[in-house]
Formats: sequence, C-alpha cells, structure tokens
Amino acid sequence: MNHLVDRYVTTALRRIPEQQRTDIDRELRASIGDAVDARIESGEAPEAALESTLTELGDPARLADGYVGRPAYLIGPDLYFAWLRVLKMLYSIVLPVAVGLVTLIQILDDLNIGKVIAAIVTSTLTVGAHIAFWTTLAFAILERTGPHAPLQNTRAWSVDDLPRHEPPGLRTTELVAGATWSLLLIGGLVLQEFTFTAVPVLDPANWTFWWPFLIVVLLVRAAYPFAVRARGGWTRATSAGNAVLAVLVGAPLIWLLASDGFFNPGYQRIAELVDGHVKTWMTTTLIVSVVLSTLWDIGQVVVQAERNRRAVVS
Amino acid sequence: MDATLSGHLQELRRGTVVVASLTVLRTPGYGYSLLETLSEAGFEVEANTLYPLLRRLEAQGLLTSEWNTDEARPRKFYKTTEQGDSIAATLRGEWARLDGAITDLTTGSQG
Repeated sequence: MNHLVDRYVTTALRRIPEQQRTDIDRELRASIGDAVDARIESGEAPEAALESTLTELGDPARLADGYVGRPAYLIGPDLYFAWLRVLKMLYSIVLPVAVGLVTLIQILDDLNIGKVIAAIVTSTLTVGAHIAFWTTLAFAILERTGPHAPLQNTRAWSVDDLPRHEPPGLRTTELVAGATWSLLLIGGLVLQEFTFTAVPVLDPANWTFWWPFLIVVLLVRAAYPFAVRARGGWTRATSAGNAVLAVLVGAPLIWLLASDGFFNPGYQRIAELVDGHVKTWMTTTLIVSVVLSTLWDIGQVVVQAERNRRAVVS
Repeated sequence: MDATLSGHLQELRRGTVVVASLTVLRTPGYGYSLLETLSEAGFEVEANTLYPLLRRLEAQGLLTSEWNTDEARPRKFYKTTEQGDSIAATLRGEWARLDGAITDLTTGSQG
C-alpha cells in the first residue's frame, strides 16, 4: 500500500528543487497519511481510502508546479509564435541554401551520385539540428532574461515601459533571422577550411587578413540592428552606419572575386575551370548577387529611415 | 456554460482561502487539520491548492512553521505571524467593504 505513496511522492518531488525536497517529502507523506486515516475511520477499506486520497490530490506534476511556482517551460506564450516564425523561416530559406551549397561543392568535388545523396542527407540533418538547437537556445535565454522575463516585472510599471511600436525591419523575428544568417556565413567560412572537402574551397591565403576581417564585420553586422532598435529605430545616421557595414562586407567579396583571390587555386575543380567559361560565369554571377544584395540591404534600410523621419515630422 | 461559471467561481474564491487560512491558523494547525476545518466551515478548497499555498504564505512571512514530532506521525504545524494576522485583518475589512458595496449595487439597481 505504501508503494503507491512512494510512487506519488517521488513523482511530485522530481519536479521540485533539491533543497526543498526533504521538507515537502515529510509534509506530503504526513498529509496523505492523515487523509487516509480519516477515510478509514469513516468506514472505507484501507486500499480504497489510499486510492481515493491520491486521486483527490490529483496529478503529482500539477501539485509540484504549485509548490514551485516558476515557469516549467522553455519558451512561453509571449515568444512562442516568434520562435515558430523564425524556425519556419530558417527552415524554408537557410536550410535549402546551406544544403544547396554543400551539394554544389560535393558535385564540383566528385560527381558520384552516392556521395551527392549522402551529402544532401547529412547536411540536411546537421544543419537542421543546428538551426533548431541554436534558435531554441536563443529564445530560451530571451525568455529568462529579456523584457518578457517575469523577474524584471518587480519594478513599478510606468508609461515609459510601453514597448515602442516595432518598425518593419527591426522586428525580433527579422533581427534574429538576420543575425543567424550572419552567424551561418561565419560558420560556413570557418568550416569549409576543415570539412566539406579535402582541400578548402576558398583561398586559405586570405586567413592572413580578409577572412578574419569578414568574420569581424559580419559579427558587428549581426549585432548592429539590435543596437539600433534599442535606440529607437533607423535614422539617417544609423542607416548610414548600416550602409558602411554592408559595403565593408560586399566590397572585399567583390574585389576578391574579381581579382581571382576568392577561390582556392589549390582546389583542383576550380583549377580545372580556370580556363573555362564556367568559372567566369560563376564569378560574374556571384559578383552580381553580392552587388544586388548589398544594394538591397542599404536601400531598404534607407527607405525605412526616411519613413521613420517623416512619421516623426508629421 | 458550466466551465465559464466554475472559472468565475474559482476566481472569486481564490483570495478567500488566504484570509480563512490566516484566520484559522491563529491557533497552530497542520495541513490536513486546516483542510478539514476549512471544508467544515464551508470553504471549498482542494488539498493540492492548500498545501502549496501554506508554503507560499510561509515564504512571505505570514506564517511560521514548526515540526511536531511528539506523536507517531510527525506533522508540520503552521501558525499565523503578527504580520500575517494584521494582513488578515485588513483583508477581512476589505471583504466586508466589498460585501457592502455589492449589496448597495444590487439594492440600488432594484430600487
């Protein structure tokens, strides 16, 4: 009969912090004992008395949550939908791009159908797991430290605490996605040196300056919009800063591509392509994409800053 | 409809358990004894709400506790502190005021 009590108490205590367990354990057992005795006294059979007492106490997990009173969840309702949107976006854009790149490298490296399929499967699983893990970790930290965290609500609320209307381009989802994109680029840049292919795809000579430089600029770029939002949104000055950062990423890439310093000359597939049209074609496509995405990035932020300025003036 | 009603009833009763517990525990008592006293007095309270509540009130300094090991079954006895008592008095005053206000509202709308 005590077997059931042990199971109940242990289940409840599992969800309670260590230092409170001993006391709650004793008290809970005493309370259950009292309730069972009272039922037996009023004529119930011992086993039935125990069963109905525990049933009345209800789900031990719910009881434990009552004792603890802290959120027993990783991401609460405030952030759940933002988390879901970021994940969907990363899975629908970043995952295909990353898998596409890995597949392309594999095709260039060795057009063996088995290896290509293996590359697709493993990169989908690896990149997919990384996206889920890092996104969830970021949101779990935000849940506990961000403005939503219950701990920060101890101060009296004032109208100054009203969240600013999040302007387009600076919503949490977009910021996190943008930062994740920068971090993935950095990850790709570092990893291609060691994995993916036997010989790095990109020119290792650039590790003396350009690759570290790009990593630093990409890190700043990932953090920059967060800082801008904290100061109230895009203005002419901050959009100029964004343009400088975009150029600092774009210009070296274009220069390296144009001067044949981007790909690793030791990477044999590239060496084979040197005289062919394929390489010119690839380089041109890459240069055009970098130019377009840099202009797009600068342009949309400038437009946003201009809208904000007019909104304030009018 | 039943779910709506029971939700509102629960809202309305929530605070009353605190007042009742602080009032009853001016004489020391343990979890199950308080549960019995409250249900005999007409308060509908579940054990799984009351036991965690006692600990919260203790953490807030409105109750103190002491283990009594004189009997075969050791029990944790709670007692209302001075602070708890004065808060309970204020809450009872508020309860009386609300009762009056509701009554005024009801009779006022009828008349």
